Amino acid sequence: MPLFGDLFLSEITKKPVFDPKGEIIGRMRDAIVVKGDPLPKVSGIVVERKKALLHIKWENINIFNKRILSAYCTADTADAYEMNDKDLLAVRDILDRQIVDANGVKVVRVNDIKIEGYEGDAVLVAVDVGMRGILRRLGIEHGSEEFLRLFKTSMPYNLISWNYIQHLKPKLKTITLTVPRQMVSDLHPADIADLISQMSREEGAHLFTDLDIETAADALSELQPEMQAQLINAMEPEKAADIIEEMSPDEAADVLSDLPTAKAKEILEHIEKEEAEDIQELLGHEEDTAGGLMTNEFIAYPPETTVAEAMERFKKDAVEIESAYYIYVTDGAEKLLGLVSLRELLLSDPSSKLSVIMETKAKTIHPDVDEMVAAEIISKYNLIALPVVDNEGVLLGIVSIDDIIDRLLPPSAKRNRRRL
Amino acid sequence: MSRWKRFLLFLSVMGPGIITANIDNDASGITTYSVAGARFGYSLLWTLIPTTVSLVVIQEMVARMGVVTGKGLSDLIRENYGVKAAFYMMLGLLIANFGNTVANMAGWAASMEILGLSKYVMVPVGAITIWLLVTKGSYRFVEKILLFACLIYFGYVVSGLMAKPDWHAVLKETLVPRIQWDSEYIVLSIGIIGTTITPWMQFYLQSSIAEKGIKKEDYKASRLDVVIGCFITDIISFFVIVTCGALLFPNGIRINEAAEAATALKPLAGDYAHMIFALCLANASILGAIIVPLATAYYICEAMGWEAGVNKSFKEAPQFMWIYALTIILSSLVVMIPGAHLVFLMVLSAVLNGLLLPFVLVFATLLINNKGLMGEYTNPKSYNYISWGTVVTVAVLTIFFVVATIFPLA
Repeated sequence: MPLFGDLFLSEITKKPVFDPKGEIIGRMRDAIVVKGDPLPKVSGIVVERKKALLHIKWENINIFNKRILSAYCTADTADAYEMNDKDLLAVRDILDRQIVDANGVKVVRVNDIKIEGYEGDAVLVAVDVGMRGILRRLGIEHGSEEFLRLFKTSMPYNLISWNYIQHLKPKLKTITLTVPRQMVSDLHPADIADLISQMSREEGAHLFTDLDIETAADALSELQPEMQAQLINAMEPEKAADIIEEMSPDEAADVLSDLPTAKAKEILEHIEKEEAEDIQELLGHEEDTAGGLMTNEFIAYPPETTVAEAMERFKKDAVEIESAYYIYVTDGAEKLLGLVSLRELLLSDPSSKLSVIMETKAKTIHPDVDEMVAAEIISKYNLIALPVVDNEGVLLGIVSIDDIIDRLLPPSAKRNRRRL
Repeated sequence: MSRWKRFLLFLSVMGPGIITANIDNDASGITTYSVAGARFGYSLLWTLIPTTVSLVVIQEMVARMGVVTGKGLSDLIRENYGVKAAFYMMLGLLIANFGNTVANMAGWAASMEILGLSKYVMVPVGAITIWLLVTKGSYRFVEKILLFACLIYFGYVVSGLMAKPDWHAVLKETLVPRIQWDSEYIVLSIGIIGTTITPWMQFYLQSSIAEKGIKKEDYKASRLDVVIGCFITDIISFFVIVTCGALLFPNGIRINEAAEAATALKPLAGDYAHMIFALCLANASILGAIIVPLATAYYICEAMGWEAGVNKSFKEAPQFMWIYALTIILSSLVVMIPGAHLVFLMVLSAVLNGLLLPFVLVFATLLINNKGLMGEYTNPKSYNYISWGTVVTVAVLTIFFVVATIFPLA
């Protein structure tokens, strides 16, 4: 077992590596990291000998601790090593990179890496994101500790366990971020959207493609239009279609309308027929009108439905729908006859018909009317949703208060965030 | 693409280059140009041409890195050269920018004194206003103020035209270099380069371009923004030198500070020129005092991996808030010490900036030639010549400057 106890990566980099005779093979340059169970482990080290690089496999390492590095092989018997993008190198690829710390959504950096001996392997157990890591790299950790002891204080360790850290794409050199992904999916989609808009484009795109479809759809709807188009445009049409399908039709239409026409068509072809028709219908409306703002997901039942039946059906139908606060009552030709609020429904006698309890003088709006008028009506009559009907009185969709608020007051991630 | 579309595209990416370039003309810049014009007339004008070339090349490189990598310069230095390089670079930046902030606060104090307002009142007022503007206002609001404030700089152009210089002489001195082997002359020419190409603006420009999320395809428009910005900077510098060269130099008036230039202009050019100089100086100083401390705090925290943000509390982002607060508070206090040797502090900050600049440029040039980072967007050869040439020139000049400051015999 070459490694007992623990060490920090910075304590061994640039240290001499000895062969069995006590000759220096070269200096430790980097550690090759491979997937291990449960944590990543060191599969070998890269040693720099003059200008050449040598690869010493873990099996060939004799002693591996913070004082001594030694190998069973000699400079002549070790393999040559060539830098490549396939290996994940601890110093090159992990050290100094940014991490998204899900614990409060802050961006920290990898100041050092803690390695521990476990069943004969050197396992990466944690990253140091604290002041100690920085001071250690500067070579003044010990001095600072002594100095602080004068004031009877000490420096805390600030480590993040590797359990919380996962690489997005270890093989790619361009990835500069390890994101605690399990924790990321626990984050609210709005916070993920926030993170994506703070990252560089490439990193944001990688984080986004790694999300599960539901989370991705929710996060996408929180982003600003340019960012939405950029992320979706860069994706395979099938994957993009899956995400778009998960969104409510009005949000989906908003995203698609910002894409190049060819791409939008391609994506629509991969979406389930019914859903695609809904979206296409919405795409026909101008963006700043009630029609452009509305969703065509709503709940409508015939007038002869009883309250008890309506409640039963609602339990099934509402699962798929973003906002359902009213039940609309429509005739065979889908003309809007009236509406029943959920409150009304719960308070009514289960045997009475919807036609009896419904509000018939419901406010409605035409799809071509400006969205601000819709906002005014909703505000004036304290509505949660406003039905959109055409000239014949056919119910086309609803504009919900959420859509209005999003339009009047962009969600935090949509605001143009800029730091100086 | 139609001409109209191209113009719209330019407007959407415009900003970072022009704002950076304008704030570049802060109190120490204006001081240097005023002193240079008063002491040597037009004869230092020619230095503006090579300086502009270097400025354009360097700013273009930094802007390109921002567009291609989507990251700030301090991020790239940390990620590619490790903690040590980043730490010492940031330490240097902190000290140099503290000096810059002192210079800006001093410029603010002096311009207020000219306008008849006591510095003991106006410096705290300025510091509190900056604090409130940055911590309570949004960046969009600040950006609008900045773009508007950039227009005020054109006051210098007006005063230059009002000074009725001998354009024939101005043109000749601009185009035909005439070096004087006088230590003061050389120190001032170093000053002109040093205040035009500063370390902090490289960080500021790259970050603001990265933050703006400009795409590779739109890079050409962004480059135009940067180039226009560089030209505006040097046109302003040109007119400051011309004004002082036309009015103060022939009368043998020597000055040490930009504020003295404003005072000296009063009997020669009347109230307007006097007021323009005082107001422009106040504007330049306060702009520098808003941006420089904030930028410093951001880049340091970015490089070290500390939390940053103006709307965070001292508990949430302690390093960020303390760096930002202390820079403003301490520099205000330094300026208010009665009889403080401000000129000495400004020279010191110029030396520090000069010492730091070659390192920043070396990192920038190495990074931009890194194929792994930049792909096909690495530097063309000619850029590398100019960039390395600037590194060597600045390094040699700075060493000379330090020697000349410590042993002022020559």
